[in-house]
Amino acid sequence: MSFVHDPQFGDRMITLMAALVLVLQIAMVGQRWLITNIRMFALQSFLLAAIAGTIAFFNHSNHIYIAAVLTFVVKTLVLPILLERIVARVGIQQEIEPLINVPLSVLISGGLTLVGYIVAESFYHPEETSAPAALGHNTLAIAIALFLIGFFMMLNRRKALTQVLGLLSMENGLFLAAISLTYGMPLVVEIGIFFDVLVAAMVLGILVYRIGETFDSMDVSKLRRLRG
Amino acid sequence: MVLLWLLLIPLVAGPLAFFLRKRPAMEATNVAAFAVVLALAAALVAQVLRSGPVSYWDGFLYADALSSLIVLLTAFVALACSIYAVGYFRHDEQNTVFVEAEDVLGEVAAYKLRKYYSLTPLFVFSMLLVALANNLGVLWVAIEGTTLASVFLVTFYGRETSLEAAWKYAIIGGVGLSMALFGTILTYYAAHQIMGTDTLAGLNWSVLVVNAAQLDKPTMRLAFILILLGFGTKAGIAPMHTWKPDAYSEAPVPVAAMLAAGVLNCALYGLVRFYILTSKSLGPQFASQLLIVFGLLSMGVAVPFVLVQRSFRRLLAYSSIDHCGIMVLALGFGGPLGVLGMFLHMTFHAVTKPLLFFCAGNIQQHLNTDLFRKAKGGLIHSMPWSGAAFLMGTLAVTGSPPFSLFQSEFTILRGAFGGGYVFTSILFVVFLVAIFTGFLVHIANLVLGPDPGLPNGETCRWKKYSVLSLALVIIVMGFWIPAPLYRLIQGAAGIVMSAQ
Repeated sequence: MSFVHDPQFGDRMITLMAALVLVLQIAMVGQRWLITNIRMFALQSFLLAAIAGTIAFFNHSNHIYIAAVLTFVVKTLVLPILLERIVARVGIQQEIEPLINVPLSVLISGGLTLVGYIVAESFYHPEETSAPAALGHNTLAIAIALFLIGFFMMLNRRKALTQVLGLLSMENGLFLAAISLTYGMPLVVEIGIFFDVLVAAMVLGILVYRIGETFDSMDVSKLRRLRG
Repeated sequence: MVLLWLLLIPLVAGPLAFFLRKRPAMEATNVAAFAVVLALAAALVAQVLRSGPVSYWDGFLYADALSSLIVLLTAFVALACSIYAVGYFRHDEQNTVFVEAEDVLGEVAAYKLRKYYSLTPLFVFSMLLVALANNLGVLWVAIEGTTLASVFLVTFYGRETSLEAAWKYAIIGGVGLSMALFGTILTYYAAHQIMGTDTLAGLNWSVLVVNAAQLDKPTMRLAFILILLGFGTKAGIAPMHTWKPDAYSEAPVPVAAMLAAGVLNCALYGLVRFYILTSKSLGPQFASQLLIVFGLLSMGVAVPFVLVQRSFRRLLAYSSIDHCGIMVLALGFGGPLGVLGMFLHMTFHAVTKPLLFFCAGNIQQHLNTDLFRKAKGGLIHSMPWSGAAFLMGTLAVTGSPPFSLFQSEFTILRGAFGGGYVFTSILFVVFLVAIFTGFLVHIANLVLGPDPGLPNGETCRWKKYSVLSLALVIIVMGFWIPAPLYRLIQGAAGIVMSAQ
């Protein structure tokens, strides 16, 4: 089992998992069922936790282990369960209606991935020996792509809950960026961010629920009474 | 120790109000807590002026002149709002505004009051933490905290429109702040390269500012753009301002006033902290140009909406977008006068804006509408004090002499001409004049005119005296700024100037 301790093996595992994260993100753009979308988000978060765990293992860093466990608990278990409950209670499971059709959306996501690589290029200094930057290149590009595609998802979807999902996957992108650039934020900040994400998701969840009750729909394009 | 108490008192007051349940007890908790916070803020200011920056817990909490100015303003606004809130919510309760049809026992009303009185201290706690956190990551967490604590204050009335406003507020704020988080991560990356693995102090502003000149330039450039977009969303800079009119007009008046005069300052404070780092790393040119563009845009966007506005609550929101633009513009102009003008403006705005909101609240509760169309004018007859104060506040907030905002705007303009921004300064003046005209015409039509025969609207002493005492503060400040306050503002400007 000596290959398990080989850092190169670790790097490849991380790149592989990051690539899967990106694939899931693009699949979410193409996916029309709300429940499937939530489960894909859960799987994506699980992969992120695994990436964090792998980085922690190769760097013997305790605070990244904590971040990995927090990701797993908050984003893989608690949030998806919460979101699925809201879907069940509002009783709306119909398809998501994107503004732009699916093939074009996927194409746009591909373009955004390219943008991610271009931006990440400016952070890539192979001549420098500082370790995080060397790891960063691929993962950082994927992180930026996740952020941009998440933003695109929010613009493209009209259902309140899918906008929340878009926001959460943007946050996943940020987590990946933080972990690939600097091996995560300082622990206090990391815990603070997780707390905020959890509370934000609950706050938004309650809002979605109340919008669903009041307007008999989760379609945010119906929220247009306030103008000027 | 002062720093710790400043945070602990509102943090405890929230849950305390939640468990006390009885309305008089909750009111007393809030007012008392914020009075103590204001006293502590004054003590902090005295300490900072006497012996320089204060820090606690190995520099986890840190207060220099800049942060103590924000703490002082936040504490002042919080106290003013909590005093006004007593009268405001009593009026709502008596007039069964938030009582729904099936609510016979007043349970909904009691629940809503409890929500307000327990969330508001937490809201203020997050604002104070923004100013006192040394770590830029914690600063981000605290700014996000202000959003989370206030979303359910915006939905307070539970109308369809308030849900819509809260949704926009939470989602636009969430996207904006995720950009700010990206900026913070990039700043940490830049710091990581020069300081190695020292993880906790690696994001401490007081440490970063010493090494700011060595921060990686391309990284800081991208970071500042993201921070400007992110904290700009929270401050309400155009074109990310769209949540503002909705949230300000749907939230209860004390909350709207805290958003306009408290959160605005906190978000700008975060921007200023990053501006200092960016200027030291890249030179002031890059950040200044961006700030000038966004500042002018915000002022320009506000103009047409002020001119054709139909609701006086939304009018105040556009005025706040305008003032946010002025402050950002002043920071962009830079120079000793521009920066001094910015902090003077921040101070005077934080004192004046709550008065306008309180007057607007009194008038709205009296007329049961916030539309100019439905208000028949002539309010001065039924509400002599609020009407007069509203008119005076309008003159003050649009920057007419002798009120203090005239002085700060004049200072900014002198700084702009001194810096050679001739064209920008001319636009600045044009926008100011347009907003002055629009604002004054609207409010004069509302307040002046023949008597429509409404009953006397100034029966509540809490509402009346909170308006009158704020009006008194504004009149006094037009002629005299307390020397310590001026020294504090100069100190804050000095911290920003050290970067230029």
